[in-house]
Amino acid sequence: MTAFEAVRPPLPKKPFNPTPVWLSGWLALLWVIVHDLELSFETLAYGAQDIVEYFSRYSTPDFSDLSRYVELLMQTLATAVWGSALAFVVAVLLSPLASRNLTPNATVYRIARETLNFMRAMPDLLLALIFVASLGLGPLPGALALGIHTAGFLGKFFSESLERVDAGVYEAVSATGASRLQVVMYAGWPSILREALGYTLYIFDRNVRMAAVLGLVGAGGIGLALHDTLRMFNYNESAALIIVILVTILIIDYLSTWLRGKLN
Amino acid sequence: MSSSRLCWPTPNGLPALGPSVIMAACVLLLVISASAVELDLVRLFTAIPRMFEFASHLLVMPDWEYLPTLGVNMLQTIEMTFLATSIALVISLPLGVMAAANASPHPAVFHATRNLLTLMRALPELVWALVFVSAVGLGPLPGVMALSFVTVGFMGKFFAESIEVVDARQIEGVAAHGASWLQLRTFGIFPQVFPDFVGTVMYILDHNLRAAAILGLVGAGGIGYDLVMAMRMFDYDRLLPIALSIYVVVTVLDRLSDRFRRRLI
Repeated sequence: MTAFEAVRPPLPKKPFNPTPVWLSGWLALLWVIVHDLELSFETLAYGAQDIVEYFSRYSTPDFSDLSRYVELLMQTLATAVWGSALAFVVAVLLSPLASRNLTPNATVYRIARETLNFMRAMPDLLLALIFVASLGLGPLPGALALGIHTAGFLGKFFSESLERVDAGVYEAVSATGASRLQVVMYAGWPSILREALGYTLYIFDRNVRMAAVLGLVGAGGIGLALHDTLRMFNYNESAALIIVILVTILIIDYLSTWLRGKLN
Repeated sequence: MSSSRLCWPTPNGLPALGPSVIMAACVLLLVISASAVELDLVRLFTAIPRMFEFASHLLVMPDWEYLPTLGVNMLQTIEMTFLATSIALVISLPLGVMAAANASPHPAVFHATRNLLTLMRALPELVWALVFVSAVGLGPLPGVMALSFVTVGFMGKFFAESIEVVDARQIEGVAAHGASWLQLRTFGIFPQVFPDFVGTVMYILDHNLRAAAILGLVGAGGIGYDLVMAMRMFDYDRLLPIALSIYVVVTVLDRLSDRFRRRLI
């Protein structure tokens, strides 16, 4: 038996499995964070009953002011529509410059890229705060803020799609003597039309959600009403507002999913 | 069906019908909604000097003594992001499996989980933060709760979608060894979706950082509170450092996650 085992070639060393190390490191980090943020989940557990009681206050939604809510909702939707339209226009103009295969030169490419990055990095609520300060209250600063912030996303998506288009398509069009603009218009956009529309719908979807909270900084819409009712402890009205927002977002969500499905 | 009509040039040289109608509808929608957003070009143009004035206010010497506090609050924002994403990850792994048509234990569970996830991600974080702040009080706790709540809705959906497109033959191969229900998911599905999952988590981390940076607006912890306060109090010497720090942190995470994703996928 031992002789037999002696001739068996030695097995290769078992590879080191790093998963437990990563997992324990992760858990330790979480523990440190919980400690540092001074979160106490025990009080949360003890307060569970209070929280249940608190949420029961929302159980009788009060729709008596529905016509005003609908009006605010329309304003919110209009903000989202205009924000998305602005984002679309800016993205269409900037994205060919920010895609490696269509840009006129490296400097323009860098500038366009960094502009898009900057627009993406500024949170839309911060932009809304700035625009409210300079334009005054109302939905217009909200639409501007949404437009600038999401133009960064849309421009990035568009330029990535434009870069993925087969180089042969561009070559074929430029071989006919087309100018740079014509290459973009006749080879670039037609190739990514579906993708681009899908991204735009996604951005619109996102903008509706954001427009619903922009009211918090005075940029119009239904968010401000929700904020006010919560401040005044009018939980019944808050519940009605939350339901109105929820239903609208769900409808838009389903519509855009359906449309995107149609596009593909 | 509409593939020929969606593209140009058309056989007769005229603009294609479908796109023209869609574009006209979009323009009409914009015109109708213009009054609702109180679009006013005069107001927009008269605001430009004020915008420059506002921008010139920003160019003051930063409040150096505030910088350590800024660092602490920024760290809090990052910690909230990380914690909320981790909590959501743990919750959405089983939910994602239940919400995938090919891995769900029962069609009823599949539909119930799908709808639950849709409801969870329907409202933005800030609305939940408002509600949770009035439920458990100010501080990072309601922020983390709101962030993880909404994130579960998104992450569960993304996970379910990646699980649904796995190669069925690999699952069959594992099943042929007599694998149990759980083993099938761990060794048949999970290795296939792992790169997708990492991509999703990075994307969500990025999204959550942006969200966490503004949650403070409603008192849910993080840098947002300082931002609003600086804005309200006209503390321009704090405003620029705050905005810059948000920009830097978001950009760094963006680049890091891009690099990480490219290395993995």
